[in-house]
Amino acid sequence: MKNVRVTAKRLPETWTAWGFLAPALVLLGLFVLWPTLRALFWSFTDADLLRPQQDQSRGMANYSVLLNDPRFRQAFFNTALFALMVVPVQTVFSFFLALWVNRPEPYWRWLRTVFFVPVVVSLPVLAILWTLLYQPVRGEEMGLINALITGIGLPGQRWLRDPTLALPALAFMSVWQGAGFQMLIFLAGLQNLNAETLEAARIDGAGPLQRLRYVILPSMKNSIIFVVTATLILSFRLFAQPYLMTGGGPDGRTRSLIQFIYETTFQDRNLGLASAGVILFLFIVAFLTLMQRLAGKEEKS
Amino acid sequence: MSRGGKRLAGWIASGLVALFFLLPLIWMVHASFRPENRIFAGGFFGVLDFSDLHVGNYPAAWRRASMGRAMVVSLTQAAGIIGIGLLVNSLAAYAFARMDFRGKNPLFALVVALIILPVEVLAVPLFLTARDLGLTGGMAPTMGALILPFAAKAFNIYFLRQHFLSLPMELEEAARVDGASTFRIYWNIALPSIRPALATVIVLDVLTHWSDFIWPLIVCTREETRTVQIGLANLFTEPPIQYGHILAAAVIATLPVVLVFRLAQRHMVASQSNVGIK
Repeated sequence: MKNVRVTAKRLPETWTAWGFLAPALVLLGLFVLWPTLRALFWSFTDADLLRPQQDQSRGMANYSVLLNDPRFRQAFFNTALFALMVVPVQTVFSFFLALWVNRPEPYWRWLRTVFFVPVVVSLPVLAILWTLLYQPVRGEEMGLINALITGIGLPGQRWLRDPTLALPALAFMSVWQGAGFQMLIFLAGLQNLNAETLEAARIDGAGPLQRLRYVILPSMKNSIIFVVTATLILSFRLFAQPYLMTGGGPDGRTRSLIQFIYETTFQDRNLGLASAGVILFLFIVAFLTLMQRLAGKEEKS
Repeated sequence: MSRGGKRLAGWIASGLVALFFLLPLIWMVHASFRPENRIFAGGFFGVLDFSDLHVGNYPAAWRRASMGRAMVVSLTQAAGIIGIGLLVNSLAAYAFARMDFRGKNPLFALVVALIILPVEVLAVPLFLTARDLGLTGGMAPTMGALILPFAAKAFNIYFLRQHFLSLPMELEEAARVDGASTFRIYWNIALPSIRPALATVIVLDVLTHWSDFIWPLIVCTREETRTVQIGLANLFTEPPIQYGHILAAAVIATLPVVLVFRLAQRHMVASQSNVGIK
């Protein structure tokens, strides 16, 4: 103990601090920062997956090839469309779920847990499960979704094999999977909602819509901004669902950006082009995050 | 509508929404016990048919997907990430929360900026780094590739720092006056005080990495190094396609994470109420 005291006094705080920081910084530098910088470097070269060292500079060529590549454009369009379907639906749905189950009785607490269950189950499992749920009608046999809609008299659909329905089908499954998590964030945000203000508004004769518009929404603004941005970024990371459920098809209508980067690397071995995709992707994510910060700042001032 | 009628409508509506979330999973468990030619039988109410259930899919799935070995790989990955991660992330978080040193603010800003780099998109350059470090091929190198890149996590550093900052200084100052070293104060006083936050980090890490897909897809190149998800995905993509086996493997792959969540739920709730107090 005495020894420890002496060392503790002798060591300047800076040294101790760097000692505490070193393990995490080494790992982050090696496995996060360094790969990012290498991707940036490769994006200006014609690097091959198997021989990344023997590369020639191509300047900005990869970026112009990428932006004119119909497969990349389609992957970008698919991913953006997926996000445009998932973000509003999931945000509104989970918002109302949170308002609805925000009650203290055990029944509603149990219900919250139920809504959260799909979040706990891992995504590859759910992607495979939903492929079976979307199974098209074949004689007496069909997936659960088609069983439900033919049960109420509507025609069965081919879902994942239908060029127009495949992406919405992936989006629907993703909303089902993620709504419980966003609901939890909204529930945490609702703790800041002043119950007395809400009660006062009710006594003053404000209807449900007015209470939502003038009391609930303003106090939830930060939670909403956070949920929208987080869902947006998560949607852009789409990979396991198209990879397992559709293979990117039909006609490439569900191929995602990440899937494009993955295929460009491991099938075409074009590390340079894939790296340009990585960098563009990071720009998109950085831009979305910046938007969130700005929206949050505006709120504070 | 009367008060009773309103309440009844609320019960029915909540029951339907609960069914919306649970039915796919109930179908998964039920169908995993059905014989292969009956998986899609019986339409919407097939899930109520208990006449032909059997457990045969489970041993077959366990054998075909080498689930025993895959479980060891996945559990080792989760344990490694949590074990190394808790230590290195909380050490860094404590330094950011409690120590003064040159360059602290820009360094912390850099760490926060790293939060937005998603593993899915970094997987490609990360694979080449792992290859250069020799973290590909056999079991030991693959375990390294599954664990080391995800132990240090910018978000966890940020999250734990917030919780260290919310601790009252008095206890740590008293220990310092008593002559305890900085590491002792961190280890014996600060770390135990943020236990609910540590539990939250553990659960988030388990949920995240039990779902890992693109990274093991890239680095688990040999059959013996496959994680649970990759074993399951292989049943799904490699013939002969047996839906019963796939569903049984899906249930097996789900059980550990549900168990972890059940065990940790209490501590997570504690962490939520903790946030409320601040």
